[in-house]
Amino acid sequence: MPEDIKSEDIDAIKEILNIGIGRSAQMLNCFTKSHITLSIPEVRIFDTENLKKGNEKYLDEESAAVRLEFMGIFSGITAVAFPKDSVAKLVMAMTGEAAGTPELDSLRIETLKEVGNIIINGVMGSISNILKTHLNYAIPYYEEGSIIDMIKAEKKIYDNKVLMAMACFTIKDLNVEGNIFMLLELGSLEILIENINKI
Amino acid sequence: MALILVTDDSFFQRKIITSVLAEEGHDLMEATNGREALLIAERKNPDLILLDLLMPDMDGFQFLEAAREKKISAPVIVLTSDIQDTTKGMCLKLGAAGFVNKPVEKEKLLPVINRVLSE
Repeated sequence: MPEDIKSEDIDAIKEILNIGIGRSAQMLNCFTKSHITLSIPEVRIFDTENLKKGNEKYLDEESAAVRLEFMGIFSGITAVAFPKDSVAKLVMAMTGEAAGTPELDSLRIETLKEVGNIIINGVMGSISNILKTHLNYAIPYYEEGSIIDMIKAEKKIYDNKVLMAMACFTIKDLNVEGNIFMLLELGSLEILIENINKI
Repeated sequence: MALILVTDDSFFQRKIITSVLAEEGHDLMEATNGREALLIAERKNPDLILLDLLMPDMDGFQFLEAAREKKISAPVIVLTSDIQDTTKGMCLKLGAAGFVNKPVEKEKLLPVINRVLSE
């Protein structure tokens, strides 16, 4: 993966991610009946060897995440991570269950998987439609931990360097925050840029 | 009123879908993957099948292929989070009678169900 990625390529990736996240926000808005606030997407290249805890809040924060592996002309992983304090609020709002009930706990993973799946499909589906390509998805996977740990766990697939595109969203009325991450496999960056440039 | 088979590996989604359909007075059956749906469809002959795509064991695409081979007569509406145009095209090519994106909205789902049931 090139470290000297051009600023116009970063812009192109941000733009396409922005469209996808916009579509996700629309779906999430319909699902939660609450306004969704989005941050401007950020694109960075990480060296996982140098990735350490204690530098950035959103990477260190203990989160519950849903991730989906995608394969096509470019491949990688997209994940939605909810900080722990947002999880209970989101699940209560989605299921109508009260705090501390056993039902709430049993519905937590199911609910997060479905919400995460809808958000991820919004992002990746939009990107795929814009690029006129098809991506195959694996079954969504639920995990807990810090984002750093989750990225490091992908080391086998991604070698040491990963491109991470991310954006934050807030479900305003529920006071729920979340982060959307897209990690691109080695070699996929050039293909993605090439396809964006064909639009 | 119709006998509808709701196929989704997510309990959460089945709960949402069945509550919408029960309000309309439909009789409901549930399956958690394509294989289970195929068995139920063969035995109970539903009027309509609602089908998720990403499921363990047998996914929605495999179900559509198997249902065609086994000549399952019930029409199938695919209900998925996958918004790719190509996915919709693949499902319709495999014989799906309708394609609706999640999140499930009563106002979006019911007209498609009514259309398919009346065909």
